[in-house]
Amino acid sequence: METQYQNIHQDLVERCRKGDTKAQFELYKIYYKPMYNICLRMVGSQVEAEDVMQEAFLNAFTKIDTYQGVVSFGAWLKKIVINRSLDHLKKRKVKFEELNEKIPDEEPVSIEISEIQMEKLKNAIQQLPDGYRVVLSLYLLEGYDHEEIAQILGITNVSSRSQYMRAKLKLREMLHREELFEYH
Amino acid sequence: MKDELERLITNNRHAIQDDEPLEGHFERFEARLQKASKPTRTINFRPILKIAAIVVFVLLAGNQARMWFLPEKEKEEALTLGSISEEYREVEFYYTNAIAMGMNQWEKLSNEGLVSEPEQQMMQKEQNDFDLMYQKLQEELKANPNDERVINAMLEYYQARMNIITLIINKLQEVKQQKNNKSNENLEI
Repeated sequence: METQYQNIHQDLVERCRKGDTKAQFELYKIYYKPMYNICLRMVGSQVEAEDVMQEAFLNAFTKIDTYQGVVSFGAWLKKIVINRSLDHLKKRKVKFEELNEKIPDEEPVSIEISEIQMEKLKNAIQQLPDGYRVVLSLYLLEGYDHEEIAQILGITNVSSRSQYMRAKLKLREMLHREELFEYH
Repeated sequence: MKDELERLITNNRHAIQDDEPLEGHFERFEARLQKASKPTRTINFRPILKIAAIVVFVLLAGNQARMWFLPEKEKEEALTLGSISEEYREVEFYYTNAIAMGMNQWEKLSNEGLVSEPEQQMMQKEQNDFDLMYQKLQEELKANPNDERVINAMLEYYQARMNIITLIINKLQEVKQQKNNKSNENLEI
């Protein structure tokens, strides 16, 4: 099959198309970490994240013939991983609420970080409510804009922004409690 | 415009996204991969059912045709002891012949006036009972063609029927002999 995007591991992708399990395992070794982290930020638990991530890989290998090389394999896989994570959240009855209220952009507050404790920051993100955590992760960690997030989650652009603002407020509050932020 | 919190997260994106799955995830995935790559045996029952339906139809049609075209005599033979094996066919032939000869003798002696009316009726009843027993045994034999108990019962039936006829015929022959002796004695006197 002619592909438009030549991946670094194109040979592995081609072998995966032929059902070569060794090639599939090789691709897993290459991509598991970023994919796992996406899952972890979205579903919030290590065990569930691993399960969802591995299920997403198997799903990707099953429908690898639909990968036409328009984007990189990693981007294509990431989309599957996000969709599987969302499916998992839906099973947990997580609803991405439509919040159409207009939350004004915050005035840049002069917050200085005296000491960053990465683990505490990661934990705080993990402890956010599901809806907030997903939007914040997709926006800040995965680099999607609100238009894309709205499309992925099936909500409006305004709602995505509102969720994001609320997520930030909540996170700031949690970090303040943890004394990660100090106000001067 | 990004605030401090956003900057904190985006600048440390890689550090935040640095978690590793729990130990043993490679092995777990390899196992799942192997399981998923095994071809699942999906049996499509539709063609099997079609073939089965055709086979059943052909068998039924064949049986129907056989019953339709088979001579009446063969149809009867198919239900008897003789249909089980060649040896039983010979045994059956022997008994049926002996019984038929006995009945012929009975008819002959009856015509000679050696059998009274009550004896005629008793013999008729015996024969009807035997016929009824034979029908039941035929049904049993049809249902269980290889059951030795049924085969033995069939053999015992033939033996019993032949023995009774032979016994009666012998008695009648004795009576006939006695009558002949008496008439000879009277002639001599």
